[in-house]
Amino acid sequence: MRRELSYGAAALRKRASVKLIGWSVPEILPTAVYGIAVARATDSFLDGHAWRGIAWLGGLVATACLGAAGARQVYGRLGELVEPLRDDLVRRVVGGALRSGDDGAVARLNRQVEIVRDTFAGLVLVLRSFAVTLFGVLTGLLSLAPLVAAFVVPPFLLGFVLSLAVLGMAADRVRASLTADEELAASAGMVFGGVRDISAAGTEEYAEWLAGQPIEAHAAAERALAKVSALRTLCFAVGGWLPLLILLAAGPWLIGRGVSTGTLLGGLTYVLIGLQPALNTVMNALGDSGLRYVITLGRILDTSTPAEESRPVAELNGYQVRLRGLTFAYGPKAEPVLDKLDLTIPEGEHLAVVGPSGIGKSTLAGLVCGMLMPTGGQILLGGAAPTEVATERLAGTRVLIPQEAYVFTGTARDNLRYLLPDATDHQLELAVKTVGADQLVERIGGLDAEVRPSALSAGEKQLIALVRAYLSPAPLVVLDEATCFLDPEAERQAEEAFARRPGTLIVIAHRISSALRAKRILVLDGNQATLGSHAGLMRTSRLYRDLHGSWT
Amino acid sequence: MISFGEVAKHGRGWLPVIGVNALIGSAVTLALPTVLGRSVDSIVAGTGYTRWLVVAAALIGLGIAASIVDAFAGAACVAETTAWLRHRLVRHVVRGGPGGTRDFETGDLVTRVSANATDAAQAGPALVTAIAAIAPPLGSLVLLAVIDPWLAAAFFGGVLLVILVLWTFAKRTADVSLAYQETQGRIAALLSESLTGIRTITAAGTTEREERRILGLLPELHRNGVVTWRILARSGAQAAVVGPLVLVAVLAVGGLQLVAGNITAGELFAASQYAVLGAGLGNLTGVLGELARAKAGVQRSAEVIAVEPVAHGTLTLPAGPGQLTFDGVSVVADGNVLLDNVNLDLPGGITIAVVGPSGAGKSVLAAVAARLRDPSTGQVSLDGVPLQAVSRRALRSAVGCAFERPQLVGRTVGEAIDPHAVSPIRTLAAARATHAHDFVSRLPDGYFTSLRKAPMSGGERQRLGLARAWSAGRLLVLDDATSSLDTATERQISRTLTEDRHHRTRLIVTHRPATAARADLVLWLDHGQVQAIAPHADLWHNTSYRAVFG
Repeated sequence: MRRELSYGAAALRKRASVKLIGWSVPEILPTAVYGIAVARATDSFLDGHAWRGIAWLGGLVATACLGAAGARQVYGRLGELVEPLRDDLVRRVVGGALRSGDDGAVARLNRQVEIVRDTFAGLVLVLRSFAVTLFGVLTGLLSLAPLVAAFVVPPFLLGFVLSLAVLGMAADRVRASLTADEELAASAGMVFGGVRDISAAGTEEYAEWLAGQPIEAHAAAERALAKVSALRTLCFAVGGWLPLLILLAAGPWLIGRGVSTGTLLGGLTYVLIGLQPALNTVMNALGDSGLRYVITLGRILDTSTPAEESRPVAELNGYQVRLRGLTFAYGPKAEPVLDKLDLTIPEGEHLAVVGPSGIGKSTLAGLVCGMLMPTGGQILLGGAAPTEVATERLAGTRVLIPQEAYVFTGTARDNLRYLLPDATDHQLELAVKTVGADQLVERIGGLDAEVRPSALSAGEKQLIALVRAYLSPAPLVVLDEATCFLDPEAERQAEEAFARRPGTLIVIAHRISSALRAKRILVLDGNQATLGSHAGLMRTSRLYRDLHGSWT
Repeated sequence: MISFGEVAKHGRGWLPVIGVNALIGSAVTLALPTVLGRSVDSIVAGTGYTRWLVVAAALIGLGIAASIVDAFAGAACVAETTAWLRHRLVRHVVRGGPGGTRDFETGDLVTRVSANATDAAQAGPALVTAIAAIAPPLGSLVLLAVIDPWLAAAFFGGVLLVILVLWTFAKRTADVSLAYQETQGRIAALLSESLTGIRTITAAGTTEREERRILGLLPELHRNGVVTWRILARSGAQAAVVGPLVLVAVLAVGGLQLVAGNITAGELFAASQYAVLGAGLGNLTGVLGELARAKAGVQRSAEVIAVEPVAHGTLTLPAGPGQLTFDGVSVVADGNVLLDNVNLDLPGGITIAVVGPSGAGKSVLAAVAARLRDPSTGQVSLDGVPLQAVSRRALRSAVGCAFERPQLVGRTVGEAIDPHAVSPIRTLAAARATHAHDFVSRLPDGYFTSLRKAPMSGGERQRLGLARAWSAGRLLVLDDATSSLDTATERQISRTLTEDRHHRTRLIVTHRPATAARADLVLWLDHGQVQAIAPHADLWHNTSYRAVFG
C-alpha cells in the first residue's frame, strides 16, 4: 500500500502538479462563490434591489469563465502527469517480462496498465477537487453563517468516515477480480494459441471450459463488488442527505435566531451543489478507483521490478571450456541431470553431444552459455565462470541458438544482423549464401522485406536464426538442436558452414549425421558421459552403437 | 456479427431494473427542488413546515433506495454481460478452427477478450443511464415553464448549447479510443512475439534492444493518449462555461420576476435548482465517454464474432478400415497453388509416408486429410464418407493429428494429453506408447504437474502431442510429429506405429528415409503435385527422389 501510494506521489512531483493545483483554484471558484452569490442575489431581489441582484449574478458569470479556463488547464496538466506515468508502467511491464519470460505480462500490459492510468487520473482529479471544494464550501459557509456550518459539517464528515470503513470490505473482492482477469489472459492465450490443436483433438468444449472458468470467476467477483457498491450508496445517504434534512428541520429555529431567508437558501445550495457532488465523487473514486489503483499497481510493481543482477565482472581469457565435476539438478529433490561431468573443449574444437532426449543436452548447453548456475562442481569459459561474466562480454564470446528459433516482425535485414548490428549487406548476403538461406531470403522478398513470424515455417525460422548466429562475432557457437526442423540437406549445408567458421562449434546433435561431422563426440547417458571419436565410440559405447544403429 | 444493440440487449433481466430505478432517481431529482422550495417558503411563513419536511424526507428516502438498487444492478449487469460476451468470443475463436483467426495475433485476441469485452459490456447500462440522465434536464424545462415561461426560455437556449458540445465530444472520442486501443494491441503483440524467443534474447543479451523495439510504439501511444486529454480538456472547458451561463440567465430572469412579485423566494430557489439540473447535462460527458468506449469495444468484439464456425456434418462413419480418398483436391491460398488436383485412393490400415522438399505441400495435404483445412476444390473422404459430412465428434474420434510443434492446452500435463481423462488408463496407455511416460513420470507431480510450470523441450512436447492423437480410431496424421525426437526414441515410436495393434491408417509426413522405408507406401509430393505413390524401395533408384532426403 505504502509503495503504491509513494509511486503515485512520485509521479506527482512535477511542475505539472503545481500548475494543476494552481488551475484548480479558478476551476473550483464558481462552486465556492455560488452559495454566497445566490444568497446575496436572493436577498437583494427580496429587498427590491433588482440591479444589485443582477450584479451578484454577473460576478458568478465572471467566475464561471475563470472556471472554464481552469478546467481546460486542469485536464491538460492532468494528461501531462498521467501519460508519463503510463509510459513508465508500460516500460516496467515490458522490461520485467523480457527479464523473467513471464507471459502473464501481456495481460498486465493491456488491462492493468490502463486501469492504473484511468484510476490514477481519476484519483488526482477527485482528491484535488474534494479538498478544494471542501475548503471553498467551508469558507463560504463560515462567511455566510457559522451556525449553519455547525449543522451541516458534522453529518457530512460522519458519512465520509463511514465510507472509508466500507473500503476495507471491498479490497479482497477487487483482488479476486483482478486475479481472475490475469488467469483469463493466461488461459485465453493458451487456448487461442492452440486453436489448431484443439480442432485436431476435437476438444473444443474443454477449451471453452478452460477459458470459461476465469470468465465465471471474474463475473462472480464483480457481482460481489456490486453489493459493496450498494453499501457505499448508503454511506452517501448519511453524508450527503442528512445535513440537508437537519438544516431543513432546524430551519424555523435558525430563522428565529435571525438567519435570513437568503442565508438559509445559500446553506441548502452549498449542500446540494458543493458537498453532495464532492462526497459522491470522492467516495466513488476511493472505493473503486482507489482500490483498483493500489491493487493493480501493486501487481505491476511486484512482477516488473527487475531483479538487478549485478554480475561480478570476471575477465575472459580466450574461449576454452572446462567442466570440473559439473553437477546440475532442476530442484533440490530432483535427480541430477548432469552428475560430476569432467570435460575440456579446447579452442577450435568441433564437438557433437548426443544422447536420448531429456537426458540433459540442453541443460549442458545452458550451463556452458552461462544461462544456468551449476548446483555443484565448476564450469569455466575462458578461465571464468560464465555466470560471472558481463552480459555483453559473454555475448561476444559465445552464441547459443536454441531449438525454438526467434524471428520478430521487422525487416529480414534487422532479423539477420541481430547479433552484428553493423553488418554490411555484403556480409549479410555472404552469410545467407553460406548457410543456405538464399532461397528463403529471395522468397521473403529480399533483405528489405518485412518478415512476419507467423508466415514462416519452423525450419525457415531456424535458417534465419542460423544466419544470424553465423554473423555473430562470438568464436564459440552452441547449436542446441538448432537445425531440427531443417531437411537433412539444409542441415548439412548449415552445419558445414559453421564447421568452416573459425572458432569452436558445439552441436547438440539431432541426427547422427551431425555427430559424424564432428571431431569428437560426447555421449550423454543418464548421469554418465563418454567422450570419443566416432570409431572409438562404436567400439566402446553401447548407447552410441544403439543410437547409431537406429539413427539412419 | 454482433452489434451495439445486441450487446446492450443482453442485459435484459437487469436493464428494466436499472431503467426503473434511474427513472425513480430522475423523478426524485425533479420533485426535490419544488419540495425544498415549498419547505423554505413554509419555514419563512412559519406555518405547515412539518408537512413539507415529511414529504422532503420521504422523497429523499425513496431516492436513496432507488440509487442503492441501481448501484447493485448496474454492476451486476455489466458483470453478466462481460461474461456472456467473453464466452461468445472464446467460442468463436475456438470453433472457427485453425483458419478462422489466422489473421489475428494471439496477443491481440487476448486483448479483445480481456479488455475490450469489458468496455463493450457497458453498452446496455451506459445507454439506459444516458437516456435516464436526459430525463431530469427535460423535466426541468417543463417545471420551469410551470413556474414561469420566461425561465423556460432562458433555460432552453442553454440546453441546446450543451447538447452541441456533447455531440462533438462523443464522435471524436470513439476515433481516438480506437486508435489508442489499436496501438496498445500492437505493443502487446510485439511483446508476445519476443516472449517466444526469450531464450535467444537472454543468451544474446539483447533484452534492452528488444525493449527498445517494443517500446518504439510508446511515443505513438503517448500521442494518442495526449489527444484524449486534449479533447477532454476542451469539452470540459466548454461545459464549465455553458453550464453556469444557463443558470445565471435563469436566476436573473427569476430575480426580476421575484422583484415584480410574480414568484416566491422558494420558487426562485427551485428554479435555480432546475437550472442546475439542466446544466447537469454536462455530467453526461462521462456517460457518453463510456458509450464511445463501449462502441469501440463492441466493434473489436464484432471482428472476432464475424469469424464463422467450421461447419460439420451429421453423419457417423460406417465400419471400415480407414480408407482415405482424395478426389481432385486442390488448395489455393492468396493466389498460390499449394495442392494441385491431388487424386489418391489409399487403402486402409497401412502406413503412408509423405515426402517431398520444403514447400511441396506436405503439411497442407496432412491438414486437408485431417480436416483442419478444407480444399478449395475437390473432396476428401474417409471410408467413402466425405469429411465435411461427418459429425465433429465422429470425425475427431476417428482421426488424430500430431504436429511438428504441438501447442499444448490444459491445466496439467495429463489434461494436455486427454482433458476428459475418463480413464487414466487410456491416458497412460497413450503416454507409454509414445514414450511420453518416460519424462512425465520424472516431473515433480507426474501427470498432475502444471503445464505452465513445466518447461519442456521440443521433443517432449512432440511426445505429448503424439500421445494426445494416439486414441484416434481410424486415421493418424503425423505432420513431421517426431522431428524433434532423438533417433532412439523416434525408432521406438516408429516401431509402435508400424506394428500398430489397432490397424489404423497412418499418414506420416517425414524427412527421414528410414521412416519412408518402413512405410507401406510413399507419397512423393513436389510443388503441390503427386510425383509418385510407390514403396520406398521402388523409388530409391530415382535420383531426384533420393535428393529429397539429401
